[in-house]
Amino acid sequence: MPLIELKNIQKHVLKDINLIVRDKELLALVGPNGAGKTTILNIIAGLTDYKGEVLFDGNKMDHTPPHKRGVGYLFQDLALFPHLDVASNIAYGLRIQHYPEATIEGRVKELMDALHITRLEKRYPQSLSGGEKQRVAIARAIAPFQKILLLDEPTASLDIQTSKYLRMELCALLKKLEITAIFVMHDLLGAEEIADRIAILHKGTIEQISRPGDIFFNPRTRMVSEFIGMPNILDCNDCRVLSSGLIEVVSGNMTIVLPYEGSTIKKIAIPPHDIYISDTKPPGPALNRYRATVTEIVPLRSVVRIKVDINGNSLLTELSMEAFDEMDLDIGREVFVIIKLRRLRYVEEFDDYHK
Amino acid sequence: MTFKKLSISMSFAVFVMYGVLILSLFYFYNGSLFFDTLISERTLFSIRLSLFTATVATLVSVFCAVPSAYALSRFRFPGRQLIDTILELPMIVSPVALGAVVLIFFNTPPGVFLQERGVHFVFTIYGIFLAQFITTVGIAIRLIKAAMDEIPVRYEEVARTLGASPLKAFFTVTIPLSKKGIIAASILTWAKALGEFGATVTIAGSMAMKTETIPIAIFMRLASADIEGTAVLVLILITIGLGTLYGVRLLTRKTTSLT
Repeated sequence: MPLIELKNIQKHVLKDINLIVRDKELLALVGPNGAGKTTILNIIAGLTDYKGEVLFDGNKMDHTPPHKRGVGYLFQDLALFPHLDVASNIAYGLRIQHYPEATIEGRVKELMDALHITRLEKRYPQSLSGGEKQRVAIARAIAPFQKILLLDEPTASLDIQTSKYLRMELCALLKKLEITAIFVMHDLLGAEEIADRIAILHKGTIEQISRPGDIFFNPRTRMVSEFIGMPNILDCNDCRVLSSGLIEVVSGNMTIVLPYEGSTIKKIAIPPHDIYISDTKPPGPALNRYRATVTEIVPLRSVVRIKVDINGNSLLTELSMEAFDEMDLDIGREVFVIIKLRRLRYVEEFDDYHK
Repeated sequence: MTFKKLSISMSFAVFVMYGVLILSLFYFYNGSLFFDTLISERTLFSIRLSLFTATVATLVSVFCAVPSAYALSRFRFPGRQLIDTILELPMIVSPVALGAVVLIFFNTPPGVFLQERGVHFVFTIYGIFLAQFITTVGIAIRLIKAAMDEIPVRYEEVARTLGASPLKAFFTVTIPLSKKGIIAASILTWAKALGEFGATVTIAGSMAMKTETIPIAIFMRLASADIEGTAVLVLILITIGLGTLYGVRLLTRKTTSLT
């Protein structure tokens, strides 16, 4: 039975949203600003009125007020209570629901240990760093034994390293506590790291909801394809294991060397921004460097999309407007292309996505 | 003269004006007379009556103001704008006029009924409570609403998702967070009630040892050309008033440093 079900939900920008979130699933709602992501969370939490139906475990929740829904909510601005110390912030939900003091103490300690914030117990929110506040807010949101957690841009305000670390930690904690969670994120890469499924939302409509790999290798709409950066998908005809965790894959008349421990790759996705163009021969070894011919130039607002042909393989690349102006590229011109994958996305067997 | 110097000079000029006015009270200062007037039964009665009525009126005002301010701060409902405008009444209409309106009301059938079957307000101590209440409650609501507007609704939403009913969220989050603002508003309301004259004299009259609050005592002494006595009572009123405002300043400063 699905834990959360939204049926024909309408509210402001949202147009007839239907969504099923499975028990213990981590679902990421991803999309540009104004897509309606936070509104969906507010509807599930009961913080706003709406048309349509929200069901938890098959039970209609539409007339259940927020405090009886049992839904934890990590707001983007965290909103830690400034008049309470860390331990009291975490204990707030338990106290308000009249849990026995021993249970409260045990739960608060358990969560502070799990989130490594025990040393902050007596501190007040004003004196905490961004990452610490985030941890306290997470502990507070799940403390009253919530089985559903909504997270609005949980790591958006943190630096990249802290954000990545906290995301992984949070993901492990949610899995351990068997919590069903819906994350709102604008960053697809972050969503990929933690989500079981990703829903791409655009202008109040769910464009695609599927496992991260399906979105990369099978974007169903033009919008999704644009949103994920229109990656080049290469079918691999042949693979040859090189030494020290490297593999050479052949796609058409191109060979690419990738860091990979296994022996077979069926498909790889190369985002356009991982393909660099140079009008002069780049120095260094010839690894993943090719001669190519420019076949198409599409200027956009801040970047220029350029299609190049490498031995019969057509690849889409992106150049900043400044770089494009400096290079003076034209259709038919020969250039040098370098592939530098910041993250390897590949299919090992069919239907088996990795990142 | 630069604009900076000009503006600073202007603020000093205003300060000097008030300073000179206060100092002029001491022109009629006479040590023994001051002391005699201060400990006279009539003066002590006025002080006691003023402190008592202002405190009761403030408690009732704040009791009514807290939920009203919360409603105006948090909810959108029909008539909200109208209520918000009416709250300005004590600020735009002179207290004498407000008092006159109350007196007129007590001459209408519902007013007569209330006076005969309920509490007799006209020319009694209850009239002082009423006068102070009607002139302060609007201001109390306005001040407390301002304090509550400062508290983001988000805190209450968080409390709701953690299992708090709207009432529990109000008492465990909104009230503690706006506590200092409510106390500051209460002190200002109290100071306003303490100095209330126009409505009080209209509703409760000016009866020595009966409805004689400090402002009314000042009026009565001035009317009987008792300049020394007037100066003493004004000094008492100024001391209490400025002391209160200084307390509010201290409280507001602490509030600011906390947030």
